[in-house]
Amino acid sequence: MSTTARRVSLLVGLPSLFFLAFFLAPMTVVALASLTDASGNLTFVNYARILLDQYHWDVLWVTFRIGAITTIACVLIGYPLAWYLVRIVDWRPWRRVCVILLIVPLFTSNIVRSFGWMVLLGRNGLVNDSLQTLGLIERPIRFIGIELGIVIGLVYILLPFIVLAVGNSVADVDPSLEQASADLGARPATTFWTVTFPLCLPGLMAGAVMVFMLAVSAYVTPALLSGGRITVFSMLIFQQYSSVFDFNYGGALSITMLVLTLVLVATAGRVGATKGA
Amino acid sequence: MITLLIRIVSLAALLYLVLPLVVIVGSSLTNTSFLAFPPQGLTLTWFGKVITDASYVSSFVTSTVLAAFATAVAILFAVPSALAIARYNFPGKRALSAILMSPLILPHVVLGAALLQYGTAIGLTRNFLALLVGHIVIITPFVLRAVLPQLTEEQKSLEEASADLGGRPVTTFFLVTFPQIRSGILSGAIFAFISSWINVELSIFNTTAELTTIPVKLFNYVQYTIDPTIAAVSAVTILVAALVIIILDFTLGLDVLSERR
Repeated sequence: MSTTARRVSLLVGLPSLFFLAFFLAPMTVVALASLTDASGNLTFVNYARILLDQYHWDVLWVTFRIGAITTIACVLIGYPLAWYLVRIVDWRPWRRVCVILLIVPLFTSNIVRSFGWMVLLGRNGLVNDSLQTLGLIERPIRFIGIELGIVIGLVYILLPFIVLAVGNSVADVDPSLEQASADLGARPATTFWTVTFPLCLPGLMAGAVMVFMLAVSAYVTPALLSGGRITVFSMLIFQQYSSVFDFNYGGALSITMLVLTLVLVATAGRVGATKGA
Repeated sequence: MITLLIRIVSLAALLYLVLPLVVIVGSSLTNTSFLAFPPQGLTLTWFGKVITDASYVSSFVTSTVLAAFATAVAILFAVPSALAIARYNFPGKRALSAILMSPLILPHVVLGAALLQYGTAIGLTRNFLALLVGHIVIITPFVLRAVLPQLTEEQKSLEEASADLGGRPVTTFFLVTFPQIRSGILSGAIFAFISSWINVELSIFNTTAELTTIPVKLFNYVQYTIDPTIAAVSAVTILVAALVIIILDFTLGLDVLSERR
């Protein structure tokens, strides 16, 4: 064995074995289980049960719709916020405070953050109280149990990701390019849309893809803010593994979700790549 | 005009980011036996209840010990892997780095379910080791992702110089490489630790009534009742997070979003 080969196997041997045993093997087991029935015969019945049933399509549609709305809202709020932090704030201590405010939620569990929204969005919560005081609504809105409640919670949880991704790409834009555009007579809006924005697009796309992935696979936030009235796909998976114990059907659900998200993300990545080029 | 609009959106967004946390900390101080915000009266009773309740204390301990062990193993896995990926060419290198990074994009519910099913088959479920194994898988990529960009080509020449001068690989690593990647290891380790500490989706499959982490305990509780005690537990986790971040800001500097000129 050459020196290189010996060193490489020394360095990556243990991590490779570990990931083989506790990552690849479990995923393979799920994939195999999804293709077999309870007695171990090869079958597509688990997938047929999902794909031929309107209920599953409805759940998928709800899940992906919530994911898409969450992603759009994150982009619309996150882009201005990132721009504000990088380009507009000129007092450093305030930016430090803002960055801390942005990161503290990231360091707090989804439970705690969703719990905060359960309190805020409740029948007598701060949001309903304020809306009533302002005279905007007469009776309290039931936020817990409608998609809007889940979206509010998910956007809240995922916003820091997109702000960090966009903020880093805005910070990386070379100001001399914008300078050059202005010197050549372009108005600020033209410079933004033809120079700055395209340069930030890869960061924006990366952030948006990440938000979408996390939104469609989220379990905790929808579980807490759905009030048991809305079902998203991850809840179906959780049910199978925590109470029903049908690993074959559960495995098919897992693989379906995995494949669908990966396909959508790959498509988004491709669209982003062609647009950015 | 547009700048004004951006300012308004941004300040509203920042308010949106702090509001739930303020509400939890605020309502944990209420004098009432139900959750109230703004709090009615101020008391630390609920915090007292939490720290004298052995089940909360033990879940705090479980979470912390679990995160510490998982982070330590993640560093021991990620740093050598990063070195191999950055410094050597070997067959399967791309596959290896793809596999080590993929837990970042894999839904945690799917991975948790997979580990439960696999664990059932090999007899590794609902104990500390089962939790640890899953946490190592999901947090190793955080360290790897933080360390890899720091293993640059310039640094490679320093390492070669060290080797030319007779430094053995181990000596070179500790005297030349390690000081350069220390900050990457640290920031990766912090993110890894936190990700483990706040995880629910993976842990929930392998916890029991006796062995549970604090986020899972909170989750199981919040689904049925919400009261000031649970707000106090949540407030503790928020205050710890805020403290960690402020310390990081003063030591490492978190000025991540300033313009680079």
